Amino acid sequence: MGNFDLLMHGFGVAITPMHLMLMVGGVLMGLVVGVLPGLGAPNGVSLLIPLTFALDPTSAIILLSSMYWGALFGGSTTSILFNIPGEPSSVATTFDGYPMARKGESTRALTLAFMSAGVGALVGVVVITLLAGWASNFALQFGAPEYFAVYFLAFAAFIGMGSASPAKTLVSLTTGLLLATVGMDTVTGEIRLTFGLDQLLSGISFLVVVIGLFGIGELLSTVQEGLRFRGVSSKIDLRDVLRTIAELPRYWATSVRSALIGIWMGITPGGPTAASFMSYGIARQASRKGEAFGTGRPEGIVAPETADHSAGSCAMLPMLALGVPSSATAAVMMGGLMIWGLTPGPMLFATKPDFVWGLIASMYVSNLIGVILVLATVPMFAALLRIPFAIIGPMIVVICFVGAYTVSNASFDLWLVLLFGLVGYLFTKLGYPLAPLVLAMVLGHKAENAFHQSMILSNGSLEIFFSNTLVTSIMLIALALLILPKTLQLGSRLRRKAPVE
Amino acid sequence: MTVRRFHAEVGTAFATAGLGIAAVTGAAGLGFGWEESGPQPGYFPFYVGLILIGASLWNLIRAFMKHRAAVLHERNSGEIEEPFLRRENLGRIGTFLAAMAGFVIGTLTLGVYVASTVYIAWSAWRQGGYRLWVALAVGAGFTIVQYVIFEVIFKIPLLKGPIEPLLGIY
Repeated sequence: MGNFDLLMHGFGVAITPMHLMLMVGGVLMGLVVGVLPGLGAPNGVSLLIPLTFALDPTSAIILLSSMYWGALFGGSTTSILFNIPGEPSSVATTFDGYPMARKGESTRALTLAFMSAGVGALVGVVVITLLAGWASNFALQFGAPEYFAVYFLAFAAFIGMGSASPAKTLVSLTTGLLLATVGMDTVTGEIRLTFGLDQLLSGISFLVVVIGLFGIGELLSTVQEGLRFRGVSSKIDLRDVLRTIAELPRYWATSVRSALIGIWMGITPGGPTAASFMSYGIARQASRKGEAFGTGRPEGIVAPETADHSAGSCAMLPMLALGVPSSATAAVMMGGLMIWGLTPGPMLFATKPDFVWGLIASMYVSNLIGVILVLATVPMFAALLRIPFAIIGPMIVVICFVGAYTVSNASFDLWLVLLFGLVGYLFTKLGYPLAPLVLAMVLGHKAENAFHQSMILSNGSLEIFFSNTLVTSIMLIALALLILPKTLQLGSRLRRKAPVE
Repeated sequence: MTVRRFHAEVGTAFATAGLGIAAVTGAAGLGFGWEESGPQPGYFPFYVGLILIGASLWNLIRAFMKHRAAVLHERNSGEIEEPFLRRENLGRIGTFLAAMAGFVIGTLTLGVYVASTVYIAWSAWRQGGYRLWVALAVGAGFTIVQYVIFEVIFKIPLLKGPIEPLLGIY
């Protein structure tokens, strides 16, 4: 099997002392970022990108992806111990994780979460390994219209499958697309939408926007709540850990179901957050009698964690093979790839096998490292949240602004961070999703170029998007994803209403 | 002052619609039609701007519909809609934002090192209730770590003001 040989080659690339060190460092930084409010995976990765310019791309992506795994683990830790989701995707873990920890079983809750997270991630990586070769071959058949159709599919999936109101998703998406057009147009060389501001000539960096939206925005929400962190004891007892691991196989059905949901939501642009909620919901519906969900039921931890991590790792596949990230963090990483001079897409597999397979192999290793490290260091990281907010809050603010400044050494970016911080806070509070905005900013140029090229090919006729089977089927799937989910919801709501009235 | 959810929804819808209008007018100036070599540079932003305006209007209408339902509900049951921001929350956010804006202005005039020391120290002193010298030590400690990470390890120069050259740091 070709993929297997390539994977073995990848292990050769990934397992060097330098890379192992980067993995450990990445996971640890990710844990810090995941635990602290205001620093999450997307903006943690954004903050780190300027520091990776000195590394070669393979080492850089290993560092960034390890940080992502660490952030996912860190997010679950605070969900369980403090009832504060460190990441949006670990919100569903608080429902049963915190009650279980309150009952004095915090070790059991944490172990369940980390082990299912590890299982989910492992399943996700196996899927990537099996599908990578096929996906990149498939993508080689793509021309400009097909690429535009795929971008359209990604946008449509966000609108149709997201949990937010479609109009709000649309606002977020188009705002991102417009922000991406600011500055010099790569096709025509025109300066666009700068409104006479010289600072906008080189465009608006999506890294700066992500740091504002996710970093400052989340901090503002934390401040508004006036959060007092009230944690549960976080000592880890090795015997409890082993007992819980022995208990895990009992929840195999939940694990399998959740992993499948995660894979589906990770490859289609549903993202880890949607995956974890969906998986939790389905686990609750499917559960037989027993204690109620929300009171510390083990399945309530296994389901969202498995789905979260399998979606998180599967999101790397469309990013690498098609250049379409399906989560905010994957979008940021893809932006990093382009900054390092790599073009994500099928050609990446042919021209940079070391990079692609090194990354995939590192995902096996760093997730393993992640599970071990997180179990060993949880008490230490939980202590971070006991630092009063009056001290840690301003420090995070400084880190965010300094990080944004290092992106391109522009002082104007500091104002942008402040502005987008306010936008992020307002959007989150009013239920506008942020991930589509980031995705649209990263994909904006590529979507526009693909559209532009297709229009030139067809002399301005939209029929080119229905000109062959491949592009037609992608467009039809996209339209179905756009229209069907919400229509079905509306239909079932009407039907449910009818008998009552 | 308490901000109602309705006002926040309407304000945001107007702001996003405004962004759409700005994009459409900007794109119209570049030309959004068709020329020999293909679409003109304003083509894409023009239509995306139109969609944004449309979606904002949709949100505006929904906000009004929800508001009417909430008012009706309030009249019937006496339950008042959960406010978007209570006064005490608004105050907390205001202070935090003002301090943050102060930090940005300080960074641009005095450099990031002075600004972050003062900002962290002020926050620990006034908001955290620490003694002034403890607060200053925390701020200075953080700033030194920051200097070592960025300038020494990664060799990335940060914004400096008039004070660093006096200490021999460039």
